[in-house]
Order: sequence, then C-alpha cells, then structure tokens
Amino acid sequence: MFKKLFLGDTKIDFYKISNIFYKMFIVELVLFSTVLVLTFTNILELNLSVDFTGGTTYQLETEYSTDDINDVMNSKILEVSRYQTFDNSSSIIFRATESTSDKEAEFLSYLSTKFNISDSNIEFQRVGPTFGDEITEKGLRALIIFLSFIVILISYRYEFKFSLIALIALIHDLLLCLSVYLLLNLEITPSTVIALLTILGYSLYDTVILFDKLNDSKKINKQNNINIETLNNTFNAVLMRSINTSITSVIPIASILFIGNYLGLSGALTDFALPLFIGILSGTYSSIFVTIPFLSKIIKK
Amino acid sequence: MKNIIKILLLPLIAFGLFYYTVALDIKPKLGLDLQGGISVILTAPEDTEEELLIKAVEIMRTRIEAFGDVQEPEISISGDRSVLVQLPGVTDQNKAIEALGTTGLLTFRPVLDSSLNTGYSPAFEYSPNPDDPDNPIKTVPAGVDDLVGISLDDNPSTISYLLGVNSGFPVIYELGPAALTGNDISDAIAVYPDNEWIVSLELNSESESKFTNLTKELASKSGDQRKIAIVLDGEVVSAPGIAFDVDPNVGITGGTAAISMGNADAGESANNLAVILRYGALPVAFERSSIQKVSATLGENTLNLGLQAGVFGLIIVSTLLLLYYRLLGLIAIFGLSSFGFLFYSVISLLGKFQGYTLTLAGIAGAIVSIGLAADSYIVTFEKFKDELKIGRSFEFAANKAVQDAWKTILIADFVSISAAFLLYILAIGPIRGFALALGLATTFDLLFTRIYTRNSVPLISNFTKSPRMCFPITNKDLQDV
Repeated sequence: MFKKLFLGDTKIDFYKISNIFYKMFIVELVLFSTVLVLTFTNILELNLSVDFTGGTTYQLETEYSTDDINDVMNSKILEVSRYQTFDNSSSIIFRATESTSDKEAEFLSYLSTKFNISDSNIEFQRVGPTFGDEITEKGLRALIIFLSFIVILISYRYEFKFSLIALIALIHDLLLCLSVYLLLNLEITPSTVIALLTILGYSLYDTVILFDKLNDSKKINKQNNINIETLNNTFNAVLMRSINTSITSVIPIASILFIGNYLGLSGALTDFALPLFIGILSGTYSSIFVTIPFLSKIIKK
Repeated sequence: MKNIIKILLLPLIAFGLFYYTVALDIKPKLGLDLQGGISVILTAPEDTEEELLIKAVEIMRTRIEAFGDVQEPEISISGDRSVLVQLPGVTDQNKAIEALGTTGLLTFRPVLDSSLNTGYSPAFEYSPNPDDPDNPIKTVPAGVDDLVGISLDDNPSTISYLLGVNSGFPVIYELGPAALTGNDISDAIAVYPDNEWIVSLELNSESESKFTNLTKELASKSGDQRKIAIVLDGEVVSAPGIAFDVDPNVGITGGTAAISMGNADAGESANNLAVILRYGALPVAFERSSIQKVSATLGENTLNLGLQAGVFGLIIVSTLLLLYYRLLGLIAIFGLSSFGFLFYSVISLLGKFQGYTLTLAGIAGAIVSIGLAADSYIVTFEKFKDELKIGRSFEFAANKAVQDAWKTILIADFVSISAAFLLYILAIGPIRGFALALGLATTFDLLFTRIYTRNSVPLISNFTKSPRMCFPITNKDLQDV
C-alpha cells in the first residue's frame, strides 16, 4: 500500500468517489451553517479578545486559590468580565471591560497587594474599542482584494471555473476554522486573524499545485478538456506530495503547540499555531476532496 | 565546474553573511513582545492631515528622548491616522505612559483671580444668609466641582477654575479664555544669565502681536491679574507675572519674553517649563487606543519557545526528508540549513540597517516558511520520481524534474509573494512583520529553487543511477508500474 502510494500508483477512482465527497461537503456546509446560526442566536458565543471588544487584561503568575479568584471577580473596582487559568502553569488572566485609567491603576495595585507581587510583573494590556474595528476592517479589505486577485490570476493561468473551485476550497477552510473556534469557545485574537490569512495562502498554494499538475497532464495527453482518466491519474499521482507537504508543514507548527503546552505557555505564539494546525490539515483535505466533486462536475458538462 | 559554482553560490552567501553577522555581533532586533516593554497605539481623529501627524510624531520623539530613561524608543506612523509608540525595557513604565499622555493642549490664559487672594476657590461666591449668619450661602458656577471649586473640564474658550502649584502650595486660579496656544511658541530654553534661572521664550512671527496685546492689557493691572497662566492639560504649570517695568501702552514686543524662575532648585523647574513650552502641545488630540505591557521574562519565554519549536521542527522535517528521499534528502537538508542561515542573517541585517524588528508574528512567518521551503524540494523530488516512473533515464528524469518543478514552484510562490505583498501594504502593526518575513522567505525559496536545487539535483546522476538511493523504491518497482 505504502509503495503504491509512494509510486503514485494507487488506483483510486476519484471520479467515482467524488459523489461521496460531494455529500461530505454538503454535510459540512450544513454543520457550518448550524454553528453560524447558533452563534447568531447567541447560543454559541463568539469569544473575541480584548483587542476587538476594548477593555483591559491583566496577566500574572502567582499561587492562587479559588477564593482569591472570587475575591477579584467581586472586587467592584472594575467590572471583571472573565478570568482564565491554566492547568500546567500558575498564570492567571483577568479581563475587565473598559474603564477610566484611574480605575485601571487602582485595580492594578489591588492585584499587586492581593497576590503580593510587584505591579511591574503584571502584564497589562489596554485596548480602545475602535482598535479592533480598525484591524477587522483592514483585514477584510485585504481579504477581498486578495481573493479578487486570486480569481483573476487563476482564470488567466488556467480556467475561470478553476478559480471558482479554488475559492470554494478557501471558503471551506475558513468556515471550518471558524466553526472549530466557535464550538470550542476559543479566544479569537489578532494572531488568529493573521493565521487565518496564512491558511488562505497555504490552501491556495496546495490547490494551485494541483491545478498545475492537472494542466500538465492535459497538455501531455494533448487534450483540450480534462477527461475522467486524466483526473484520476493526476489525483493519484499528486496524493503523495500532498500528504508529504502537509506533514512537513504541520510538524513545525505542531512543535510550537506541543512544546508550548509542555512548558505551560499559552501565549500569542500558540494563538498562531492552533488555527494554522487546523487550517493546514483542512487545506490539504480541501485541495483534494473539496475540489474533486466540482472538477468532476465540470467534466460531466 | 560551472555547475558547482552555481550550487555553492547561495550556501556560500548564506554562510558568509552568517559569519559576518556573528563576527560583528549583529543580532535580530527584537520586538517588544519578545524582549519586554510597553507599546502604545495612539489614534488621531479622523481626517487628520498627514503633515500634522508627522509633526506630532516629531514632538513626541523629542519629548520621550528629553524624558530620558528610555532606550531606543520607536515612534512611527502606522496606517492612516495611528501612531505606534514602542518603548522597550522602560524602567518606569507608568511615568513613560504619562509622558506620552501629557501631550494635550498648551494654552496661555490671563489670570483673573486666585485662591491666594480669596483664601478659597475663586469659583465660590458667598452671600450673607439672613437666616443663619454663621453659614453664608455658597453659589457655584455651572461645570465646577462644588466641593473643591475646580472646573470639571478645561474649556479654553470660557472662564475656568484650574489648579496649580505655587511655591509648593496648591492654588486655584480663575482664568480668562486662552489668548495664545502652544502653536504660537517657536522655541523656549532655560538659561542662567546672572544668578537666576530664566526661561527664554520665542514666539512665532505671526503670533507676536497677540502676545504684545495680551501683555499690554495685563501690564495695566495689578496683583494676580498681572499674571499669565501657562496651562497644560487643565493644569496650571506656571503663572508668571508681568514685570513692573513693562509699559502698559507698549506691552512686551519683539516676539521674545523671559520668565524668571528664581534660583531654588538648580534650574530643574526652569528646564521642565522650557520642555513643556517647547514640546508641550501636540497639534493633534490623540486617543490611546491600545496599551500593551509585556514583561521581560514573558518575552524571553516566548522567544525561546519560538526558537525551540523552530529547531525541533527543522530536525523532524530533516529526518523525514532523509528517510524518504535519502541522497536527495541530503541535498534538501543542506539547502534548508543554508536557507535558515540566510534568513537569520538577513533579518539581523535588516534590523541593524533598516530598523526591522522581529516580532512574534515574524517568527510565526519564519516557522511557516520552513514548511514552504521544504515543499519546494518535495515538489521537485516527486516530479523526478514521476519521470522515472514513465521510464525516463536517471539523468534525463533529473533534468526534466528540476525544469518542470521550477514552473510549478514559480506560480505557487508567486501566489504566496503576492499574498505577503498585499498583506504588507494593506495591514497594520504585527501583520506587517508577518508579511515581511513570509515574503522574504518565499523570495529566498524561489532563489534556492532556481539556482541551488536546479543545479544540484541533476548532479546526483554522477554518483548513482539507482532509484534506491533516492526513493524508498527499487528498479524492479519501477518496472512493475
């Protein structure tokens, strides 16, 4: 089996199984929409970081008890909306809604006396509510321009229909990541947004390499259109590269996740790593199994 | 021979640059998130002219430097109307934030009355109480705190009651509308001509007459009303009086003035006042939209995590490449490590000469690029295998593979570079650092594929013609296909 896979000599009839993956895709879409609907109806919560909502965070490393946390949550100096603790480190993060800088300073000194640490050892972050809007706005603008550019590029190099298929695969990856974040109630930070943009690049890179291979096979066989045989051969041949590439890409990222988890660090770097991890796996899947049903449909016509 | 030169060109450049950076002790310039410090993002109101923003940045830079205690502050315009202030490793962080915070409005306002004169806030007015003669009726103007008698908001266009300090004692001043602002001042310095500190003030030529008119009016008065209050952010910083030898019919002319500061504190208050006068007012009212404080230990932890993850990832990727592609894997590993050295050296040099700071986002971009660079080798090797499979000779297959792979990698990398380029242009803050790292890595990947991989893979047929040395397959497997 391995040898066959390695030789690109697997005889998977991708055309035949495309229907199964089409159904898979529909099931996924239903799942994604369910998650989105649940979010809009406030059953699932969109956990946005302080960068988007505005407010302050305080991170400190200390010995603490549940009573201490309750004291802080009820301290009335600031409206502490949430706290976060970690299994394998003594870090604790408090998050408060926006307030005046005097109140923030008061809360900071309250924490430093409460936990008996110097206030210079407390990570403090304050973000105004407009800042998140700016990041989101800029990010969305970049995304739209990027996607239009991709459609033009792929249409020019290959076919217009290909560019639509690439877009479907991209949107699939984005929705998948978003759904995971919503379901697990993970915090969305600016790092997450950057990671999502990277995933787009990855997924696209994978899809482009596949299209390129498809185009090559078409040329070699001197065809004007792709037929079932070309499609099958191409996908069988490209399977190994896809697997290899996703393994080599995922390893450095997995090592951030695991080393980070081992050291008890849940900083911004792991914020990057998690969506990348999900996204690369999803990108590998989508570049083959999401594109296949649609490519099959093109052939039918 | 020519091929050998081509193959060794990039690795030699990489190792040479690496040696150069190590020998000169050039290290990547670390961002705040990796070395600790404060980062503040200030946002100006919408439609602020760029010119004003540039001026504000210049003023802030001078203020922060005059403030001392800050190593390598970085103040830059980011986006349309935001200013990013980065203060690495500041010892007294609150004071530094304060220094940025007091960038409000500087005004000059005539003093109408003060608590020195009345004994209580001049805002209060007492009238006899016919019912209870011991408790006179107190009336307080609108917008004034009725306990201490200080205006709640400093509005420069109406009469305000503001607090100041006079010889160590708090004084509440009643002030008329602002006659001049910080923009009317062109320069102020503290000097010590003879036995007394003086702040010498210079006005803009177009503001001379305003100042002359103000001093003319005040010179005709006496007591508190002879004073000009210098107000910064609703606080009276100083309230010097007009000298008695100023002629009420002439005022102070010539666009210069001197404020006597006495001799008490070795010029400290004179210097402070001069700094405030010079840089006190920014032409723009900023909103502090983000403050981030990172302690040095957390920064160090993150950096170590990034480095460990990077090295760990590289080792596993290398092992896999060796297991899969054997001799070809060696080519890939040598290429990847040269790639790593080149990337590190260029980031260090960019930090030294272009001020590029390596942030967490940049490290993430670099780690992502390991996968990207490894993929280029995989694409090439897989093409090689495909050619062998259709029965091509070892030599021909190698040559064909590097040519075909180049085309595929070119378009795939082109997409990545465009993405990085777009991100760099359109995004702000940390996303830019990420985009630059990704773009740089992709460009290097293109160079390596074109020059290094393209020439080194065909070379392998000089050493072996057996597919076993390059893939986990034998000749027999190939014939069976």
